[in-house]
Amino acid sequence: MALISHIIRNTSIKSLEEKFLCLSLQSLNNTQIREKQVAPQPRLRNPTWLTKKNRVIHDDFVTQENREFISEIVQDKYENNTNKNTLPNTVEWTPNMRRTGVIAKKIGVLPLWLNNGKKIQTTLLQVLDNHVIRYYTPEEYESPRERAIKVKNKAPCIIMGAEAVNPTLFTKEYCGLFKDSGVMPKKYLARFFVSSEAALPLGTPVSALHYSVGNYVDVRGKTKYWGFQGVMKRHGFKGMPASHGVTKTHRRGGNIGGGGEKGRVWPGTKMPGHMGNRYRITKGLKIWRINTKYNVLWVSGCAVPGETNSIVYIYDTILPLRKPTKPLPFPTYFDINNQDVPEDIYDDSVHKFDDLTLTFE
Amino acid sequence: MNTSLFLGKQALPKFSKCNITKTLHKRFFANVSEESKQQSELFRFESKRQREAVGRIEKIEVKYEGPPEESTLMMNKYLSTPYDCAKHLGEIVANRSAVALVNGETLWHMHKPLEDSCSIQLLHYNIPQPAAVNKTYWRSCSFLLGAVINNCFKDNVNVQLHSFPSPNVRSGSFIYDAQLSLDNWMPTETELRVLSAEMVKFCRQNNPIECLNVDADFALLVFKNNPHKTQQIPSIAASNKGRVTLFKVGHHIDISRGPMITNTSHLGRITIANVFKLNTDIPGGPIYRFQGVSLPYSIVLNHVAYSILENRAKKLNPARIPGLHGVSDEDGSFVKHAVA
Repeated sequence: MALISHIIRNTSIKSLEEKFLCLSLQSLNNTQIREKQVAPQPRLRNPTWLTKKNRVIHDDFVTQENREFISEIVQDKYENNTNKNTLPNTVEWTPNMRRTGVIAKKIGVLPLWLNNGKKIQTTLLQVLDNHVIRYYTPEEYESPRERAIKVKNKAPCIIMGAEAVNPTLFTKEYCGLFKDSGVMPKKYLARFFVSSEAALPLGTPVSALHYSVGNYVDVRGKTKYWGFQGVMKRHGFKGMPASHGVTKTHRRGGNIGGGGEKGRVWPGTKMPGHMGNRYRITKGLKIWRINTKYNVLWVSGCAVPGETNSIVYIYDTILPLRKPTKPLPFPTYFDINNQDVPEDIYDDSVHKFDDLTLTFE
Repeated sequence: MNTSLFLGKQALPKFSKCNITKTLHKRFFANVSEESKQQSELFRFESKRQREAVGRIEKIEVKYEGPPEESTLMMNKYLSTPYDCAKHLGEIVANRSAVALVNGETLWHMHKPLEDSCSIQLLHYNIPQPAAVNKTYWRSCSFLLGAVINNCFKDNVNVQLHSFPSPNVRSGSFIYDAQLSLDNWMPTETELRVLSAEMVKFCRQNNPIECLNVDADFALLVFKNNPHKTQQIPSIAASNKGRVTLFKVGHHIDISRGPMITNTSHLGRITIANVFKLNTDIPGGPIYRFQGVSLPYSIVLNHVAYSILENRAKKLNPARIPGLHGVSDEDGSFVKHAVA
């Protein structure tokens, strides 16, 4: 009798437990809700060496004097290091050699006039305060993502940093990346593969004079974020008329495929989807003008990816027909003998505003 | 005199039994030595004896001034501590209080029983004039550094703690002088980091720091294996009516005059910055000065400012170097005029 009552008690407790579980909030959340993934998960794969960059900034109750004192110490620490740059060997450039790029900011689009009267649009790219942060030999360098195809002819790699920032805004780990080069921690980092002769000592500054007027560059930037866009904006489809009896089809894609044996939608069919926020490279942009005071490159066209004030990465062009004819400053431009460089350097075919007006006969 | 002899005879067989049958407790140090365990057993025995020796419990009125509101508490004489009063006032007050100020003039350790009706203020790290609290904190850091040094070295190194001088926050570091049987030890970056990590781990055990007022004979019994302390105890006791204040945290016991903070959980960031070998005439082995810097848990500071503090702490602290004939541990007594 006792056994039976024991069993009954246990089972009733069990059923009560199950009922309670069903009532709990946790079980409520387990219900499946099917909905379209509006923002799909990013396919970001972080590299193994990734350090946490930004830290949560709490109110630390430091007095005003102490705050000034700390900023003085920080300034002193980094000011002393910039003077110790020794001029390294300038190497004779050959067309096979690859040198570093720079990190720049797209600041706007302005016109320039050529000596034949033609007006061209140019994008202004301000080369930020670039310093060499790290140099990796091909053996040292570890790719952040293991590629399926093995890389032949591994090249050394230079890490450049741009835009110095107060180190208190970053984590200690991130600031540790800049210990070797002795520069103030930078906001942006970029990797440039170079040839071994292009090795630069850590902490070397690179300015706009790294480039010369008349040469060509490739510019890599992150395109504007358009979000989920329809087929007309995304792929330039013509759409359908707005009126004249057109029913419910004005901006749609229309036909998406034929029939027959391959009667299916082919992969790569242009359809609405996510547009923008991708890295794209515009190749073969000519440098028309360099402003040495503000470190600005004026490159042709308005097709540099990204919006104004976005960061871009500039490389020497890979296009075979736009290679430089004159030797480039290799590994970078060094201010030997404190040369007086003019504030603006123009390409020969650019009309300067100081000159006389163009006349046509 | 008789009681101490009695203690000696009674205590020894008791704790040897305890050592065998004691259940395993979590050890964060690689080796909590047998000696430390013996010492802590003695301490517990004596504190229990003192509690039982109170006899008839009398009531005292304790007036609490300060936030959140003024209140009068009825507490037990020779039994209740300021920490017990704080517990009546709430968890927040109990957790943040570092040291108590009795009658507006005497700094009182939070776990030390109150002796008479009084008014207390519970001081913490964010008060407008924290000079006294800072000193107490610095003293506790030295004390805890001693605990770490005692337990961090491998068995082949003989560690004898010497002393620590009065806390001087302005010097930039808290110190502990210890005698090691290493001839020329230059600590590497990794070793210093390990020491800091050990101290952090030890503090995260959230051990309370307990105190006990004992007579010189008992103190000599506790520190019978430490020649330096054995030499210091008579002089300390002489200037304190034959009594010595012991502080215990975990299994570590040390002598100090001033109050300590309530709990090791109050320590936030800790760095042991440097170790210097001192030129002394003390026989045995060389005396090393361990220096560190620390911030309370409640004070948040960015890494740039903290690294400035760490760099300061790396420089040799100008505090008095212990000598054979000097009076050591002139650590500040219960401080009057706490408002500095």
